[in-house]
Amino acid sequence: MSNALPATTQAEHQALPKTTHDEFARQEFVRSYKQYLVKNVHGGNQLAYEQRVKPKFRQENNRDPKDRFEVRDEMVNDPHYQMFSALLRTSQEMMWSSCQIPVQRELESLNKKLNKKRAKPRGSLRMDSSLEIPRYHKSVDIHCQPGGYHTEFSDQDASAGMVYDRAVHIYAMGQMGPYNNDIGASIALWLQETRPEFKPLRILDLGCSVGHSTVPYVDAFPKAEIHGIDVAAPMLRYAHARAEGLGKKIHFSQQNAEILDFEDESFDLVVSHILLHETSDKAIRKIAKECHRLLKKGGIMVHAETPQYKGMAPFDAFMLDWDTRNNNEPFWARSHEIDLMKLSKQAGFDPKKEFETMIPSAFQIAEAKRSLTFQGGDFGGGGFWFIYGNEK
Amino acid sequence: MAKLQRKAKGERPTFFQDPNVDKILSMVMGLAGEVAVLHDRLDTAERLLEKSTDIKRSDIENYKASAKVTAERAQWREQFLSEVLRIVEIEQEALANGDTQDYGDAIALVDGSSCE
Repeated sequence: MSNALPATTQAEHQALPKTTHDEFARQEFVRSYKQYLVKNVHGGNQLAYEQRVKPKFRQENNRDPKDRFEVRDEMVNDPHYQMFSALLRTSQEMMWSSCQIPVQRELESLNKKLNKKRAKPRGSLRMDSSLEIPRYHKSVDIHCQPGGYHTEFSDQDASAGMVYDRAVHIYAMGQMGPYNNDIGASIALWLQETRPEFKPLRILDLGCSVGHSTVPYVDAFPKAEIHGIDVAAPMLRYAHARAEGLGKKIHFSQQNAEILDFEDESFDLVVSHILLHETSDKAIRKIAKECHRLLKKGGIMVHAETPQYKGMAPFDAFMLDWDTRNNNEPFWARSHEIDLMKLSKQAGFDPKKEFETMIPSAFQIAEAKRSLTFQGGDFGGGGFWFIYGNEK
Repeated sequence: MAKLQRKAKGERPTFFQDPNVDKILSMVMGLAGEVAVLHDRLDTAERLLEKSTDIKRSDIENYKASAKVTAERAQWREQFLSEVLRIVEIEQEALANGDTQDYGDAIALVDGSSCE
């Protein structure tokens, strides 16, 4: 048996905060707790729905619940769903807390280390302290990270990035690989396999946060110049330090994806990774327009998200909607019901070149090759990502 | 030193009729987490003691779990969670097995008073 740690272990890298023995154990517990909920508690909701909730609804209404709203009205009173939800919300809070503890312990020295001037950086970091943080990021702290992506707790603070990099790994239960890069890696792999002739020379990642999804494009398209933008200063400071530590050349800048300062038709590929659901109805339209403006003819826009509710059984849509009300994701529901074809069209794209598809997870493909006993994952739609986009 | 914000901005949802039940559940899981931390620490100490009886706190701090130990601990946590959350599993098992009969039916079955 190989003594290498399993591929679901987070790789240590220069920027990632170190943990004490007990801090690491606390984080490992949260990861097991989340895994336990997915494996052993989540399924009980369907049982409760089929055996208790739906029969009672039928008896009273002579029909089944017609949409996720009617399912919700009944399920919120079911004791199993209540327990599942309270446990899941708590796991989310414990995740953030367990990731904050090691960062808080060494906040000053960690910030100092991350912000240290590099003699010969490969990439760059361009900040804009006058940038206004969008209201949709300030009204609630998205997915319950205290302070959200953007809050700075000290001078030149990168703490939100330090906390986020570790938390993403725990949230995904390691299913996005040692570098949390699976969404970007899966899109890059999909592009290489479905469009072998497509060789982007300039790539932009919107809402890149710590750049975990940006990095795989450096490896997939070594000749490309790669940019990542985000509104959040602490994320970008960390992203830059992280990329430099990994030896990856990426140009980060603090900008809002709704109004970017890049020139028209200056990119071959514009991507985002679970960004759209963290914006708003107005913003998503502006972002699509910016993608169209920035792309060269023949260029491609690709956004990764979780699947749209359209065509989903009311119960499944209800379950997928859990985050809207319970995990500070106010745009989650609406973003899953937007007509993506229309979104593309209003942005100026040719609807004939629009696509919506499920793509396989690059990490899961690699895992299946590593181990013949691999049973498939529970995260991200069971080893698949939903992508939406358009060619220009 | 600057303090990180600990609470996420936004109204916290409650799931039970009494919001204090939500809080108590969070406390229970918080305690479970701390038990898991203690378990790993004891496990580390035991593994070190198997090699040498002269161990320091710093040896515990510097201990790097191997793939085998990592897998054993993950398995321990799964079993531990299953014990702590047994009551949640019980409800699901009842639903899955159709074990949802009213208890009064069992009493009625053995009640012979109507024969008197």
